[in-house]
Amino acid sequence: MDVKNKWDIIIVGAGPAGSAAGYTLAKKGFDVLILERGRQPGYKELFGGRVYAEPLKKIYGNELSGAPIHRWVKKEKLSFVDGNKLVSLEYQSDTSTSFTTYLPQLAKWMADKASEAGALLVEEVTVDRILYKDGKVVGVGSGPDEAYADLVIDAEGVNRLLLEGLGLVEKLKPEQVAIGAKETIKLGEDKINERFGLSKGEGMAWLLMGSITDYIPGGAFVYTNKDSVSIGLVLHLGHAIKEVKEHISQMVEKLRLHPQLRNLWIDGDIMEYGGHLTPEAGPAMMPKKLALNGLLITGDAGGLLLNVGYTIRGVDFAAYTGYLAAEAAIEAHEKGGFTESNLSVYEKKLRDSFVYKDLTRLTGMQDLYSDAKMFKALPKLAVGTASRVFEIGLETPGIWNSFTQARKEAGFGLFSLAWKGYKLMKKM
Amino acid sequence: MSQEQSKQDVKPMKIDDILQRDVWDVDLEPHITVDSSKCEKCPTKPCLYLCPAGCYVLAGNKVVFSYEGCVECGTCRVICPMNAITWHYPKSGKGIMFRFT
Ligand SMILES: Cc1cc2nc3c(=O)[nH]c(=O)nc-3n(C[C@H](O)[C@H](O)[C@H](O)COP(=O)(O)OP(=O)(O)OC[C@H]3O[C@@H](n4cnc5c(N)ncnc54)[C@H](O)[C@@H]3O)c2cc1C
Ligand code: SF4
Ligand code: SF4
Repeated sequence: MDVKNKWDIIIVGAGPAGSAAGYTLAKKGFDVLILERGRQPGYKELFGGRVYAEPLKKIYGNELSGAPIHRWVKKEKLSFVDGNKLVSLEYQSDTSTSFTTYLPQLAKWMADKASEAGALLVEEVTVDRILYKDGKVVGVGSGPDEAYADLVIDAEGVNRLLLEGLGLVEKLKPEQVAIGAKETIKLGEDKINERFGLSKGEGMAWLLMGSITDYIPGGAFVYTNKDSVSIGLVLHLGHAIKEVKEHISQMVEKLRLHPQLRNLWIDGDIMEYGGHLTPEAGPAMMPKKLALNGLLITGDAGGLLLNVGYTIRGVDFAAYTGYLAAEAAIEAHEKGGFTESNLSVYEKKLRDSFVYKDLTRLTGMQDLYSDAKMFKALPKLAVGTASRVFEIGLETPGIWNSFTQARKEAGFGLFSLAWKGYKLMKKM
Repeated sequence: MSQEQSKQDVKPMKIDDILQRDVWDVDLEPHITVDSSKCEKCPTKPCLYLCPAGCYVLAGNKVVFSYEGCVECGTCRVICPMNAITWHYPKSGKGIMFRFT
């Protein structure tokens, strides 16, 4: 770290959380240093493919129109897959609240915004410790180098080695995270529009569950980018370590080659492949405190991500928590300094925002999605009913009879099904 | 798409071939080390299936680890039941460089 070594604020990680915090603080005139281990912001980033825009608009206002937005999602699709059959629910709209992108591109854009606002971004620095002295955080270290600050904002993402090093969290457990693996397939803009039934600039977000993950709780996703398609899987690690039967890359390949899907992209080329962890446990992964003397914890590092099965809100949550951390720091500074009691306004801001409200209200959904029995039975029920209704031979089966037969085959009692449905609706 | 095309023989690609699409600046020193004596006693070996980059493979009945293709996800660190893995990020700037993910 060949830079001066005393700052107002040091931010670890130029992901969505760190860059949003850096942008907000630098705009206010704080002396901000952002440290990023990658050669470029975004190089260590992988996600599914869709970002909800509203929280980002609150941070960036009209400037968001300059972001690397690939397509605005106007088509949503949810499919249950059982073997080679699938049943889908599709929603189409002429309005949109989310866009598709590559996270490395978006992260680079967000980091550039922070730099333009006056933050100093230094790449290729892997912070290996947070410095703690006399009851407060005083800076960070990387090998022989140390840099000091009145406040450190931890935005290091899901693996949070630094928080573990500080003793603020325990080592991650498989039950707390999910592994995602993804292929980006180059296809061409026109082909995507034709095959997915989209107009220029319009995108699709598609979630699939069932045999597509070998019934391991989690799901598969398909997102349309400008001229490529992102496809991949998310598997709850707690289940996957016990239930996985083949290499995860081969499971992604089966998604790519699925008989009902492959014609959408079979002539495309794989541009990139990768994997990343994502928080799964929500509140159960949160450190006891998110504000300490001289330290604020944001984004994935704080477990501040919402995964409700049909969608993940990670990027917008991370950016927004970075923004709230910055606002809290500004208030704490006005009150006289970055003490834990002054900074605790961050936790209050979180509680008052959609972040906490969603996290506490909707996390029961996660339990239901990770209910292995239900996870297997639902796709079988949906596909079983549909195949009976639609595959007409000589006799035309009634819908209720089809449903009853499929329900029995999937191993659901009528009452247990009604009960689970009720619980799900209540959570939603 | 024509019938012809959709009927073409479609086989899964092997992980080593898929990884040809990615870009790394590989560090000379490994950032992850595995105590292979522990692997011998490991009952489930989940790393063989869940390391997305296929860094853990069986050679005979031995688990062999190579760090070069690692995408730094952290999965092996979390799932290893024997605590056999010493895990760091690669040296500053080194390692995977995602562009389209
Ligand atoms: C498979 C998958 C699918 C997903 N799908 C979606 C989706 O469709 N939509 C969505 O909104 N979210 C999605 N997410 C979640 C989303 O990617 C994350 O929630 C979000 O990126 C978190 O942002 P962050 O800034 O907290 O952390 P990160 O994005 O992880 O950023 C952390 C940054 O810190 C850097 N860093 C880490 N440690 C150090 C260190 N010691 N020193 C210096 N730098 C360091 C990293 O290089 C990185 O740049 C998905 C995640 C996965 C894994
Ligand atoms: S999980 Fe750990 S102990 Fe088991 S084989 Fe893999 S590295 Fe070795
Ligand atoms: S960090 Fe991820 S990619 Fe690297 S060896 Fe471990 S599981 Fe494989």
